[in-house]
Amino acid sequence: MLKLDHITKRYGALTALDDVSLNIAPGEFFGLLGPNGAGKTTLMSLVAGLRAPEAGGITLDGKPVTAADPSTRVSLGLVPQSIALYEDLSAEQNLRIFGELYGLRGADLRQRIDEALTAVQLADRRRDQVKTFSGGMQRRLNLVAALLHRPKLLLCDEPTVGIDPQSRNAIFDFLEARVRDGLTVIYSTHYMEEATRLCSRIGVIDHGKIHALGTLEELLARLPFQEEISFPASPLTAGLAARLAAHGEVTTGGDQHRFHPAPGFKNSAFYALTEELELSSRLFISERPTLEAVFLHLTGRSLRE
Amino acid sequence: MRIILTLLRKDFANFFRDRAAVSLTFLVPVALIYIFGQVFGLNRKDTGPTGVRLAVVNQSDNPAAQKLVDALKAEKSFRVLTNRVNPDKSERPLREEDLRPMIRNREFRFALVIPADVIASKGIGLHLKILSDPRNEIETQTVNGLLQKAIFSNVPQLLGQSLQAGAKKYLGGERLEQFNGAVAAAVTKAFGGDLDETKQALASGDFGLGAVADAATPGAAATPTDFFSRIVKIESEQVVGKDVKSPEATRVVGGWAMMFLLFALSASAAAFFDEKKAGLFQRLLSAPVRRSHILWSRFLYGVLLGLVQLTALFFAGRLLYGIDVLGNFGSLLVICTAAAAACTAFGMLLASIAPTAAAANGLATFLVLTMSATGGAWFPVSFMPEFMQTIARFTLVYWSMEGFSQVLWAGQSFLQILPTVGILLGIAAGVMAVAVWRFNRGPLFD
Repeated sequence: MLKLDHITKRYGALTALDDVSLNIAPGEFFGLLGPNGAGKTTLMSLVAGLRAPEAGGITLDGKPVTAADPSTRVSLGLVPQSIALYEDLSAEQNLRIFGELYGLRGADLRQRIDEALTAVQLADRRRDQVKTFSGGMQRRLNLVAALLHRPKLLLCDEPTVGIDPQSRNAIFDFLEARVRDGLTVIYSTHYMEEATRLCSRIGVIDHGKIHALGTLEELLARLPFQEEISFPASPLTAGLAARLAAHGEVTTGGDQHRFHPAPGFKNSAFYALTEELELSSRLFISERPTLEAVFLHLTGRSLRE
Repeated sequence: MRIILTLLRKDFANFFRDRAAVSLTFLVPVALIYIFGQVFGLNRKDTGPTGVRLAVVNQSDNPAAQKLVDALKAEKSFRVLTNRVNPDKSERPLREEDLRPMIRNREFRFALVIPADVIASKGIGLHLKILSDPRNEIETQTVNGLLQKAIFSNVPQLLGQSLQAGAKKYLGGERLEQFNGAVAAAVTKAFGGDLDETKQALASGDFGLGAVADAATPGAAATPTDFFSRIVKIESEQVVGKDVKSPEATRVVGGWAMMFLLFALSASAAAFFDEKKAGLFQRLLSAPVRRSHILWSRFLYGVLLGLVQLTALFFAGRLLYGIDVLGNFGSLLVICTAAAAACTAFGMLLASIAPTAAAANGLATFLVLTMSATGGAWFPVSFMPEFMQTIARFTLVYWSMEGFSQVLWAGQSFLQILPTVGILLGIAAGVMAVAVWRFNRGPLFD
């Protein structure tokens, strides 16, 4: 559906995107995971046609996306990182303006506004000024304003920044429902929890380069370890260490044993062993691989740096 | 105390980090003081008007009348016009019948007619005629004062001739010559001098009364000027604006309206930055919307807002001061539209060149005050130095005020205001072209 072919974008001496290539399939929930300044917003703005790349090309359903030609833009919706709404106007007035910009009129527009406001639980506040809304309500309205014209592709540029968990979950539920209906989403975030929960495929981006691309499982598989259970090295746990060696790799460093289970080893088997040896669960620390660890492994720095 | 000092240091640190605030605090006031000084002619030796176009028609063949014309030409307050340029570029002397249409056509606002009968045929006295378009009260009063001063300075010789002519009528030529000879002999005997020169001076009407007139102090009670003013009949004719219902308010309303309009539109230009900050341009431009759509919709918004604001201000002027806005309402709307277009373009240019909203506001304040001052919204342009008068003609305030004056003061028709409308729309087009060019290359939409 969307193809980025060797895209390079520079701002003066800074290379914001460096030879980025990407294919997004219809119905995908694609996550773009990277810290601030990684190039996520630049990538979004190129796909939205707001800027032109110095090199490479972008096509949407086979049509080139260019800053000069707005014809492909009816197929996409952009949820900017900021609350891009007219805050002195009501929720309904905002949606009417954005709907009309896409050529919607009359009863059809009214119906879509009703549906959108209901979907994000703002129907009862439709005539209130946006500036009277909470941050979460504004974010929800910011989201549906990009969907009123029913685009095929939705670009969400960190749409949950600065909101409460309830509103965040409401947005997640809303987006997941839309993707089930066939919407394609590119979702940029620096929260690994969001990418983990939402995205069917994730691109890890930093310094303008896509460092890795794949499903969550595929990315986690890139780590040198999958899971680690550590416990004190003592006579009490020596038997456990010996038994675990048959199910994976056990290393000892300092006063700690570290067990990296072999593929297919289930945690329930581990706990059965500990119960058999009458060892307290408080002795064990289990660390599962995370996207944070993937990012650290790929880029050498934390997502929050 | 330490807390106060810490907070004080913070305030200064913040202030000096904000270049717009620093400029507004120091550079802009100094620049404005300099410009206002130029406008108001501070440090100039003569603070009166300069280069006011004054048409003079001399119908008299009296040498003293020509002397008056020459005196007016030497006066730096006036640029004296005595000829009219024909369409084929040839010139001919101005005639009295040329003056009124030319004043109505705004080619000049003041004219002096020295009639053939400048020396009254009945009794002793002089007769002169001043035609004017007093659309600026300060300028008109000052110009009238300067004209009267010039006339009275040159009146004595004409007055002497008037006396000689009267005496000749009653005494006859031969007896008058004898009389002049006797007076000349007495004068030269008492004060010295050449008898023939004195006799000739008397015959030409030069009794040395100029010294009396020169001694006259304007404004002082019972001066010799009062004497002259009683025997010099200056007929004043207001050519334009005679029927204006509320002349004082009509004269000033245009300048006020322009200043408010400029401030309002500058504020709306600064709103560009709010939309940018909110990410609204990203949202708009990700829709099937071009930059040009945003710019032209904002331009139309500015023009319509300005038109409504100007119309409301003029109607307020009608309610409060009785200004006649309905008499020529169609033309008023046209000139308001052109003025609003020029002001909007100016606001758009500000938004396109300023890096931030604060800078746009600072620049707007500077330019609005500068253009209002130089364009004549506060002070007659003719009182400014000539180079400032030239600069004034490049400001939209000047041409907008011209347009309002044409419509409200002079009651000119739609066709007559077209050149002014054309200039304002030309300014709007030129400024918008620069603004659009800057918008397309500047960072506002990034």
